[in-house]
Amino acid sequence: MLKDKIESVLPLVQKPARYTGGELNSVVKDKENVDLRFAFCFPDTYEIGMSHLGIKILYSLINSRDNYWCERVFAPDTDMEKIMRERDIPLFGLESRDALLDFDVVGFTLQYELSFTNILNMLNLGKIPLRSKDRGDTLDIPVVVAGGPCVSNPEPLADFIDVFQIGEGEEMMLEFLDLLNVYKKDNKSRSEFLKAAAQIEGIYVPSLYKVDYNDDGTIKSVIATEGAPERVNKRVVSDLDNIFYPEKFVVPFVEVVHDRIVHEIFRGCIRGCRFCQAGFWYRPIREKSVDTISKQSQRLACTTGYDELSLCSLSSSDYTKITDLLEELLGWASPQKINIALPSLRIDNFSDELKEKLALVRRSGLTFAAEAGTQRMRNVINKNISEEEILSTCRKAFVGGWTAVKLYFMVGLPTETDDDVVGINELAQKVVNEFYNNPDKPKGKGVSISAGVSSFVPKPCTPFQWEPQDTREELKRKQQLLLETCRTKKVTFRFHNTDLTFLEGVFARGDRKLCDVLEAAYNNGCTFDSWDDKFNYDGWMKAFESCGVSTEFYANRRRSYEEILPWDHINSGIKKSFLIAENEKAKKAETTGHCRQKCAACGSNSLNGGKCDALNKNMVH
Amino acid sequence: MRSIRIWFTKKDASKYISHLDLTRCLIRAFRRTDIPLWYTEGFNPHPYLVFGLPLPLGVEGLREVLDIRLTDDDYPNERVLTELNRVSVPGIEFLEVVEPVEKNLAVNKAKYSVSVPNLKDSKKIYADIKTAVEKGNITIEKKSKKGVVKEINICEHLIDFNCSFDGETVNMSFILPAGNDFTINPVSFCNALFECIGISQPLHRIVRHKLLTKDLKEFR
Repeated sequence: MLKDKIESVLPLVQKPARYTGGELNSVVKDKENVDLRFAFCFPDTYEIGMSHLGIKILYSLINSRDNYWCERVFAPDTDMEKIMRERDIPLFGLESRDALLDFDVVGFTLQYELSFTNILNMLNLGKIPLRSKDRGDTLDIPVVVAGGPCVSNPEPLADFIDVFQIGEGEEMMLEFLDLLNVYKKDNKSRSEFLKAAAQIEGIYVPSLYKVDYNDDGTIKSVIATEGAPERVNKRVVSDLDNIFYPEKFVVPFVEVVHDRIVHEIFRGCIRGCRFCQAGFWYRPIREKSVDTISKQSQRLACTTGYDELSLCSLSSSDYTKITDLLEELLGWASPQKINIALPSLRIDNFSDELKEKLALVRRSGLTFAAEAGTQRMRNVINKNISEEEILSTCRKAFVGGWTAVKLYFMVGLPTETDDDVVGINELAQKVVNEFYNNPDKPKGKGVSISAGVSSFVPKPCTPFQWEPQDTREELKRKQQLLLETCRTKKVTFRFHNTDLTFLEGVFARGDRKLCDVLEAAYNNGCTFDSWDDKFNYDGWMKAFESCGVSTEFYANRRRSYEEILPWDHINSGIKKSFLIAENEKAKKAETTGHCRQKCAACGSNSLNGGKCDALNKNMVH
Repeated sequence: MRSIRIWFTKKDASKYISHLDLTRCLIRAFRRTDIPLWYTEGFNPHPYLVFGLPLPLGVEGLREVLDIRLTDDDYPNERVLTELNRVSVPGIEFLEVVEPVEKNLAVNKAKYSVSVPNLKDSKKIYADIKTAVEKGNITIEKKSKKGVVKEINICEHLIDFNCSFDGETVNMSFILPAGNDFTINPVSFCNALFECIGISQPLHRIVRHKLLTKDLKEFR
C-alpha cells in the first residue's frame, strides 16, 4: 500500500516532517464523504510553499465547504524525489497520502517563471500526462489548473495546463469547483466541461484559443473558439472586508521561510514604478479596514500560537491609516509578546512617527529599494524618490542607532548608461559618508552597506513590456563595472546570477512555442531552476537548440507597439494606451505622480465596476 | 512561581518532529492556551522549557518529560493538562501534570522496544540477532563532546536485552544509557545491529517506553 511505502522511506530522507502532514490546523476529511478533492500544488519545496499566503487562503477557502477537500502538495526535495522514483512512489497529498491521480483537480500556483520545470516534474511524479491533449476526454484524470501572478502571461505553459484562473481566486475558485462538481455528477466529458468553464469570468482555457504565427515568429492572430471570450478579464475581488480570510493557518513543524501570521492590508499599489509587474497586475487599489485586519489577526494569533505578525502589501506605508493600524495592533499584540513586522516600506514616507512605532516592536535591519543610482534613471523607472530623500532617511536611521543598511538596485534598465551604473556606487558612497558625518555615531562601530544588485527583466503588463532585455554579457559587464568602480570596503555587492535572469526574461514574455522547450529542458534534467546550486544551464541551452528556438527573440528583441503580444488576450484591466504613454514618458525621463496625487487613468478599475480606493481615499499621512 | 513536570507521548507521525521543532511546536501550543508560562527574565525573554531527554528523530516516545514554570501558583495542574490536550497536534498527547520529584539530571537510562515487521524469514533473523548480541561485539563510532571519535561496543552497555518473534515480526526490548553525560542512540544501535547480521534498512519501529534512573528505577 502507498501509505506503508511512504512510511518506509521517511526515516531515510532529510527533514521528514515535510512529508508527513498532520501539522496543526491541517484539514483531514473522510474522502468517502466529499464530492471533489483538490490537490493544491506549490512547485517548490515545503519550506518555500508553506510561506506563501495564497495557498493558506485558498486551502481554507476550499475546505470551508464540507463537500470539498483541499490538500497540500509540494515539490519533494531531491533526496526524496530520488527515493520516490526508485521505489515507485507517486506524488501524494500530505493530508491523505493518496496519489495525485486520486484527486479531481490538481492546482498549481505560478509564483515565478523559474518554477515551471517543477510543474512538469510534479505532474510526472504524479503520473499525470504532461500535455492537456493526452489526458483523454473524460474527467477521470484530474483537471490541471493554475493561477498566481505568472498567469499575466500563461502562454509558455499553455500546452500543459487545462485551465488558468486569471486574477484573484477567492470567488472564482468556488464557482469553478461548483461547475466541475455538476459536470462530474452528470458524467460530462472533459471537453464539455472546459468549454463551460471558459464562460466563468477569469477562466482561461488555452486549448480553446488558436494561435497563428507570422514568418518572423511573431504572432499573427489569436482566435477564440467554442464561444470562449476573445479576451479573458482578470478576476478582481471588490471588497476585502467582506471576502473570505482564513481563521486558521496550517502551522508547520519544520522551520519555513516565513513562519508567522501574515496579513495582507491592501491590494494593488499607488506608485506605478514602471518595471514592476505586481504594481500594475494587482491594481486597482483595495484597502482592508483597520478593524477587519485587527480582528482577523487576533483570531489567527489564537489559533496558531505564532509570536510574529507580518503585514504585507506592495508598499505598506501607503496604507492610508498605517499609524492607526499599528497602534491598534500593538495594543493587543505587545501584551501577548507578539512582534509586528512591516516589510515593503517605502523610503520617502518613512516618518519619524512610524520609525518610533517600529522601534517599539523590534529593531531589525533597514532595507531600502533605491532601485537605481542616478536621479535620471529613477525618473525613467518612475521611482519617485530623490537622492536627498534617500540620504535623509539613512541619516535618521544612523542617528537612531542603525549601523547596517541594505540597498536594492537594478542594472540593465531601459536607457541605462555606464554613468547610471557607476551612480549606484556614488550613491552607496554617499550613504557611507552620512554615517561618518553623524556626530553621535556609535564609538568603535563601522557602517556596513549591503547592496543587492539584480538584473532587470521586462515583464508583461508593464510599460516596459516592449523593451529588450540586456544580454547576459552586457549584464555581466555592468556587474564588473560596479566592482571596479567601488572605492570603499564598507559596501558589499550581491549580484543575481545572470543566467537565471536571462531564462526568466525568455519565459516572462514567451509564447506557446516555449512549451516544447520547457518539456525538452525538463527531459534534459532541469528542475529547481531558481536554485543557484541546482540550475542546469547546459540542459536549457540544449533544449533551446534542439527545438530550434532563439532565446534572443524573446529576451533581447525590441517589440513594436503594433505587434500582437502573446498575452494580449489576457485583460489585466490596464489599458495598452496607458502603458504606451508611460513607456514614452520613460524615454524622456518624465515621471508620473502616484495615484492619490492624480489618477493616471490606467484603466484597472474597469474590472472593479469603476472603483479604486486610491480615488476614494484622498488621504495623506 | 512553581515548577511542574508534564508527561506526554510523541507517537505516530509526530516522531518525525525534530527536537528543535518540537520545542517551537510546544511553545506555540502554550501560546494557544491561557497557561501562565514563565518567561526567562532579561533583555530577550523567552519561554522556559526543559526537556528530560530529547528523542532521536524517528523514535516514538510513550512517556516523555517536560518541565516548565508557572507564574500563577494557583493555576491547577488538571487545567494545564486539559488546556494542552485541547490545542495539541496528532501524536502528542499530554498524560499527566505533577510536581517534579527528582532533578532532570537523574535521568540515566531508558527502556526501548523495537519491532521489525514483514520479515519472511523472521525466525532466522531472530536467531541471527540473538547470536550477534550474545557474541557481544556490536560497535559504533561515537563522537565525544570534544569531537574525538571513539569506537564503542554497545553490548557492554546493553541491559535486559530480550528478543522474540511473532509471525513475520521480530520484537526486541532493551535498556540503553540515556543521560546527560553518556547516551547511546537506539537508532545507531539498530543500524549497527542490522548491519552486523547483514540486513539493510528494514522497516522498523523504535519506541522509548520510559526514562530510568541510574539504579533502573523509573524516573519521576
